[in-house]
Amino acid sequence: MPSTQVPPIAGAAIDPPSLRPPIDDAVIERAAPSELRSRLETLKAGGYAMLLDLGAVDYLGRAPRFDVVYHLLALAAKVATVVEIGTPTRVRILCGVDEGQSLPTVSDLWKSADWAEREVYDLFGIRFDGHPDLRRIQMPYDWVGHPLRKDYPMRGPALERAPRPAFANKTNVVAGSPPSGRTLEALQEQVKRVREGRP
Amino acid sequence: MTVNPGQFMLARLDDVARWAQSSSVWPLTMGLACCAIEMMTVTSSEYDIARLGSEVFRSSPRQADLMIVSGRVAQKMGPVIKRLYDQMADPKWVISMGACASSGGIFDNYAIIQGVDTIIPVDVYVPGCPPTPDGLLYAVNLIQQQIREGGRGGILARA
Amino acid sequence: MTLSATPPPEIIAQTENTMVLSMGPQHPSTHGVLQIVLEIDSENVVKADPEIGYLHTGIEKSAEGLFWTQAQTVIERMDYLAPSSNALCYALAVEKLLGITEGIPERAQTIRVLIGELTRIASHCVWLGTHGIDLGAISVFFYCFDLRENILDLQEAAGGARMHPNYVRVGGLNGDLPDGYLARLDALIEKFPGRMRELRGLLQANPIFQDRTIDIGVLTPEEAVQWNVTGPSLRASGVAYDVRKAFPYCGYQTYDLEIPTRTEGDAYARFLVRLDEMDQSIRLIEQTRRRLDTPGPVMIDDPKVALPPKETIALSMEALIHHFKLISEGFRVPPGDVYQSVESPRGELGYYIVSNGENKPYRIRTRPPSMYNLQALKGIAPGNLIADLVVMIGSLDPVFGEVDR
Repeated sequence: MPSTQVPPIAGAAIDPPSLRPPIDDAVIERAAPSELRSRLETLKAGGYAMLLDLGAVDYLGRAPRFDVVYHLLALAAKVATVVEIGTPTRVRILCGVDEGQSLPTVSDLWKSADWAEREVYDLFGIRFDGHPDLRRIQMPYDWVGHPLRKDYPMRGPALERAPRPAFANKTNVVAGSPPSGRTLEALQEQVKRVREGRP
Repeated sequence: MTVNPGQFMLARLDDVARWAQSSSVWPLTMGLACCAIEMMTVTSSEYDIARLGSEVFRSSPRQADLMIVSGRVAQKMGPVIKRLYDQMADPKWVISMGACASSGGIFDNYAIIQGVDTIIPVDVYVPGCPPTPDGLLYAVNLIQQQIREGGRGGILARA
Repeated sequence: MTLSATPPPEIIAQTENTMVLSMGPQHPSTHGVLQIVLEIDSENVVKADPEIGYLHTGIEKSAEGLFWTQAQTVIERMDYLAPSSNALCYALAVEKLLGITEGIPERAQTIRVLIGELTRIASHCVWLGTHGIDLGAISVFFYCFDLRENILDLQEAAGGARMHPNYVRVGGLNGDLPDGYLARLDALIEKFPGRMRELRGLLQANPIFQDRTIDIGVLTPEEAVQWNVTGPSLRASGVAYDVRKAFPYCGYQTYDLEIPTRTEGDAYARFLVRLDEMDQSIRLIEQTRRRLDTPGPVMIDDPKVALPPKETIALSMEALIHHFKLISEGFRVPPGDVYQSVESPRGELGYYIVSNGENKPYRIRTRPPSMYNLQALKGIAPGNLIADLVVMIGSLDPVFGEVDR
């Protein structure tokens, strides 16, 4: 049973995208942070009108530590039928980012990147230069820490384990006695009865 | 024991008040997650909570008696629930519906408050993920029982 | 739990002519825990900034600490109106990483399509019921939820729970359909046309409903693609992108399926598209029903992934050992990453799953259709009345378990 308190195996020397099995789900490319923006602009001009998703993965122990993943879909932004759309191409751009390094924003290319980049900042701590409003989106505005990092504890900061207030003590449960009545003595008694042939 | 006639009248009035309160418990629309869908189902025609007196679900906490916390309570939502509970007028009752509201449920992590009873006092806990609508109906029945038989409610005892 | 000592940031600055109002997070018509910070000029919306995160559950982090099959329980609770579509997308993604996509039995694929389409109808029932009740059409709510009860009964029969049945599993299904299920399905199929006629009759030609939804929340196709809107909202703007046709899964290419589209892009068009989608789902259910008469296995025949049948555990040592290992340790998935998407009732639901070779997921990134659909509200809200905001949220159909995860 995996314990929620034991952190998963650190991604040391593991780069799963480089070991991936031959699955035909997208054209996969790697881009460095400096060439990311120009690559995405080229792709957008080349027909990749939809930024399907923007997410991040934390490979703790690898350098660069994070991978920000951009999923793009080549879909013409016009009225089109199913036949015209056909099977669009998907592209996946993986960009390795270090701790403290920031990436250029793409929220001016695709408006949908706004919240996605805010979420990556909130949960991983990766900043995006040029974002109009980079603040936390999922966690409260004064939360400390970036929860989806691998070194962030599953249960959160210790202050959340505060003692329960007085009105939460459930006094109607008799401590120590199971509700079914099957205590050790009762079970031993039952075994004795069976061995002696009594009903 | 001599019964003061004034006390006797108040006790009868108290019973009437408790009968009235238990027959028209109006919940607050506090639907958070999956349990909220089962809470909506309990208002639909197959389960019909209106026959138990919960004819309307009030959206304003000032007008509601019962807060059914249905769903997982996230860190951002905790202060909101506390504020809504404070805004409700006495007497008020709370049902913690589902495993997440009762104890954090299957989400033992940083984001979910491990039981809404760490923030507000709860009267009835309903287990399930989500509980079937019958479970919620039974919980409302238990609240009605609590109102009629003592505890919060009536006009004599302060909340 | 105390309110924080530091004041919250000023999201929208108040000017002389406008008022900043917070709509939510507790509101009867926001379809869940959504806070919209509105800047309004009397009744007109100048700017709308939705605040999400009130249901952030850390599902993606929880899944990193659970086995692959256990993670499915938390994954199903993301889009809680269509739980089987979450489970299906997850199962397809993990099967691709395991390399067992070819080995999934035919009957399992057929039943997956059946469950997916039943889930789609159930989800659209909740959408229509809540959309109607937001606009004052209260009886629509009762009709829709009554239809949903029939579908939930079937789901309970097959999977064991009304919502979150965990029926679709990695490798196939949890078990075959129980006895009597197909007869009940036949009864439901007979009931559908009458029900759909009733639902259409309640709202489609209703002048009040038309007044409130026609030309409200118009999304042009360019805007829709910019905002990354998918699903019925995109198809109502004219772009016929449906994952079931573009990237077919579970044998969708072998079914006769039409994709309803409209070109107006307003709330009424989204309403019509979703009703037409329910009709198409009924057609698909009829087609799957015809294929279900022949019996067959519903789980892959791979002892490293699928639990052995319970009867064999007492007879075979290998079965006992496999059962023990699978329950106590789970199966291991080879390292790699995959992006898999399905057409959920809200749009393109995608999972980007990374595995580093162990028995727990390394990272599950969700592409949440509702979050991107909801973000479009920032673009379509300005210039409308507050009452139109309710119509727009309803027509975009967000589910906050998915938006916040």
